[in-house]
Amino acid sequence: MIFRAVEDADLIQQAARGAVEAYNLLVSRWEKRVYNYLLRITGNREDALDLTQDVFLKAYQNLRKLDDPGRFAPWLYRIAHNEAYSMFRKRRPETDVDELEPESVEAGIAFGGSSVFPLELSLAVAGALERLSPDQREAVVLKIYQGFKFEEMAEILSCPVSTVKSRLYSAFDLLKAELAPIRTRGVS
Amino acid sequence: MSCSPFDLKDYLLHELAGPRRVEVEEHVQNCPACREELDRLRLTQTALMSLGEEEMPRRIAFVSDPVFEAAPWRRVWAGFWGSGPRLGFASAALLSIAILVSALTRPAPAPVAGTVAVVRDSGMGSDEIDRRIQAAIAASEARQTRKAEELVKRIEDRDRRQLEALRLAAAQEVDYYRRNERVLAANYGALRPQEGDAR
Repeated sequence: MIFRAVEDADLIQQAARGAVEAYNLLVSRWEKRVYNYLLRITGNREDALDLTQDVFLKAYQNLRKLDDPGRFAPWLYRIAHNEAYSMFRKRRPETDVDELEPESVEAGIAFGGSSVFPLELSLAVAGALERLSPDQREAVVLKIYQGFKFEEMAEILSCPVSTVKSRLYSAFDLLKAELAPIRTRGVS
Repeated sequence: MSCSPFDLKDYLLHELAGPRRVEVEEHVQNCPACREELDRLRLTQTALMSLGEEEMPRRIAFVSDPVFEAAPWRRVWAGFWGSGPRLGFASAALLSIAILVSALTRPAPAPVAGTVAVVRDSGMGSDEIDRRIQAAIAASEARQTRKAEELVKRIEDRDRRQLEALRLAAAQEVDYYRRNERVLAANYGALRPQEGDAR
């Protein structure tokens, strides 16, 4: 893990000096994660792909502004978050950002790719995630699927850690109620 | 409601430091309610992990073409002039330099008052000044007269040369006609029928 982080830092430094091949290698390491993050918060494959391209282009153009290569991941996701919300605003400029909902989730997106778990479980999880607010859903995606720490999430979402925890834990309570209901104990 | 010393979600999501994790683990072992709560949280987390990641429809790659890529110095130059504040600063700096150079290289203004003082101090009276002015005027008139005379002389010379050239041309023309006349007379004499031919 540490070795990988050093390698990323090297690639970032080379890319900042204009080495496109180094940047392509960096992109190949992160594109799938960024794409899936954007897919979960937009609910649309085409939007997610377009946004992913925009994110990496913008990241390349601004790579020299990244002071600490060790903070590349939250910096990159911050760009991704901004790009996604910028798209939401353009499509519905009169709507408050906090009330923005992703477009209807395409069939099969939320539970695609898994073969280990039963389809019913994946459907239930997809439905439960869809019922969360956009802020709650994004907090779950960043923590559970992307593995960020609270401080990094606060940086990505540009809000205090307490807000991040509040969104995530309220989401977790809702998900727990749906996905792990209290077992009713039978009385003999 | 959990009675755990620390939040079970923090424990589940690895947001607790080592000693606190141990405390939670010891508490959960002895508290069925908290153990069940933690089990439900783990079950929720496991359920969430049932959603896998999707493969990208197509990969992203950037190309570098040196033909279209600006040279490093050109990028720096464009970056400099592309910035509004820097442009403003550069304009202000150029203006300052221009003012400084102008101030250093501009000649001192002519001392008008000093000239008047020199005239006053030269000791010449108005008669002397008048005499000198008259002398200057006379010299100027003499120059003009001399130039006019030279001009008249040059015109007369030119007219004389033109007149001589005209006389020469007229004499040549007269000579030409006389020669033609003689040739015509000779030819006419040769062609005139003899007196005996008419019969």
